[in-house]
Amino acid sequence: MSLSTTPLTPEIVSQEGNSMVLSMGPQHPSTHGVLQIMLEIDGESVVKAEPEIGYLHTGIEKNMENLFWSQAQTNAERMDYLAPSSNALCYVLAVEKLLGITNDIPDRAKHIRVLNMELTRIASHCVWLGTHGIDLGAISVFFYCFDLRENILDLQEAAGGARMHPNYMRVGGVNGDLPQGYLERLDALIAKFPGRLKELRGLLQANPIFQDRTIDVGILSVEDAVQWGVTGPSLRGSGVAYDVRKAFPYSGYDEYEFDIPTRTEGDAYARFLVRLDEMEESLRIVVRAREKLRKPGPFSIDDAKIVAPPKETIVLSMEALIHHFKIVSEGFRVPPGDVYQSVEGPRGELGYYLVSNGENRPYRVRTRPASMYNLQALKTLAPGNFIADLVVMIGSLDPVFGEVDR
Amino acid sequence: MPSTQTPPIAGTAIDPPGVRPAIDDAAIEVVTPAELRARLVALKNEGYTMLLDLGAVDYLGRTPRFDVVYHLLKMPLRAASVAQLATPARLRVRCETPDGVHLPTVSDLWKAADWAEREVFDLFGIVFDGHPDLRRIQMPHDWEGHPLRKDYPLRGPARERSPRPAFALKSNVQAGVPPSGRTLEALQAQIKSHAVDDPKDPGLTGGESR
Repeated sequence: MSLSTTPLTPEIVSQEGNSMVLSMGPQHPSTHGVLQIMLEIDGESVVKAEPEIGYLHTGIEKNMENLFWSQAQTNAERMDYLAPSSNALCYVLAVEKLLGITNDIPDRAKHIRVLNMELTRIASHCVWLGTHGIDLGAISVFFYCFDLRENILDLQEAAGGARMHPNYMRVGGVNGDLPQGYLERLDALIAKFPGRLKELRGLLQANPIFQDRTIDVGILSVEDAVQWGVTGPSLRGSGVAYDVRKAFPYSGYDEYEFDIPTRTEGDAYARFLVRLDEMEESLRIVVRAREKLRKPGPFSIDDAKIVAPPKETIVLSMEALIHHFKIVSEGFRVPPGDVYQSVEGPRGELGYYLVSNGENRPYRVRTRPASMYNLQALKTLAPGNFIADLVVMIGSLDPVFGEVDR
Repeated sequence: MPSTQTPPIAGTAIDPPGVRPAIDDAAIEVVTPAELRARLVALKNEGYTMLLDLGAVDYLGRTPRFDVVYHLLKMPLRAASVAQLATPARLRVRCETPDGVHLPTVSDLWKAADWAEREVFDLFGIVFDGHPDLRRIQMPHDWEGHPLRKDYPLRGPARERSPRPAFALKSNVQAGVPPSGRTLEALQAQIKSHAVDDPKDPGLTGGESR
């Protein structure tokens, strides 16, 4: 078919007048991964921009169809690698809906999940802020941000066993209870965070260079944002208070008090402010979740058909041994049906559309990648602006290419 | 490209959405390709301002073969606070599409459909008539076949020609079925022929990370 063999050439964008065609990326440092943008430029200003994606396509969805339900979850974490827990939670919630155990999840597991979701949101925003700063020449912000993120990764490692991809969320609850000393370390982070965020604001928010580079740059109108399917902080920077945590509460978010920061300007500076405010709101949720976690309780449902019994019990009980063996060797089965579940990830509405045919593997896993829809808006944002501003726009949309390309 | 793999990858499904348990995630509508466009135009006028997602599912063995799934969100445009937004409505429109049937594009109704339709075209081979720029998006532009189709082998058609033994291919092992049917002699013969066929492919001797 001729459609499928159209090669990627500069002729994709039309050439008229004095314009020339420039390929930006896929190795350009400010494209945050492997984004290529075919630019038609007239001098310094962009006439047309056509983002090309797919350089990081690894067939995650196809792979997930060939793994057990629990194994597929590890692949889900690798999509948005800056916020692994939000991917994992979304997938796990969808599977739980299909299994019909959503209401059986213990309170403590819900609070641990919320805690991890918000920590991962802060960590992800830290990476965004640091790299956004570097794009604009503010080097020191990067180190402050990564120091803060490192503290959160330490907590992830303590809870799940791995820094980047903890795989801590599990169908039915979480992998294990919070380890000894975790809450004390969390307290230290909670004590450190407000001061550090104030420093970050001090470095950028009133910085005249930063303001010059971001105010009135990349203005995304409400209509365009909704048309392109933009969600998350980028949509809220344009003035729509759509947040999945409030609109379709999940995992006990309705028990928490927090605000949804919105701005109406719709420029890169507004998105910057929304994300910073969001980090403060996340901390509020973290503090509240920490209080709720004082009360001990089960961290997972008590159903040996879905959650493997504790390893210690397999030498004491024949049934535990059998269940353990069954779960490891063939996983669990999920009733047939389809389900859509979404969570508010750091980049917007992250959704999973799962289809089960009753087997021990998902029949189809479709991700709604927030980054991909956000990134599309670049086609509207870029024309008429300078190439230097394009860097600001990409940074302010905060795409993660593991999720865009999957 | 038809697969020589048996059974088809990751099992079969006849109609999971038809037998789904009661899950309160969205309202669901089923339409045919002929009435799809008119229905979506009507829905947009009803206030479904955002196209959340557009994906497809390949139910190999069912007629019609594909489901193209539209996730819509009914949301007021000017909603600067959570109270104004209230609870937006979600709607899932499933379009049951036979193999080879073209669908009308909706990228003029919702721009978000632009890349989503390109992705469905790329990975499933479903053509959207009227799309302004229907090219491959995830796979290389000269790729053959549509990888998310169920009859497309997991490791790709190129490696399909030198198949791994049944027990090493996870998708060939059904749940509860012990991997058997291969004798040691057959395997050894396969390793030998394998090495001659394609010296670059490490096959059984390693190289596969999993």
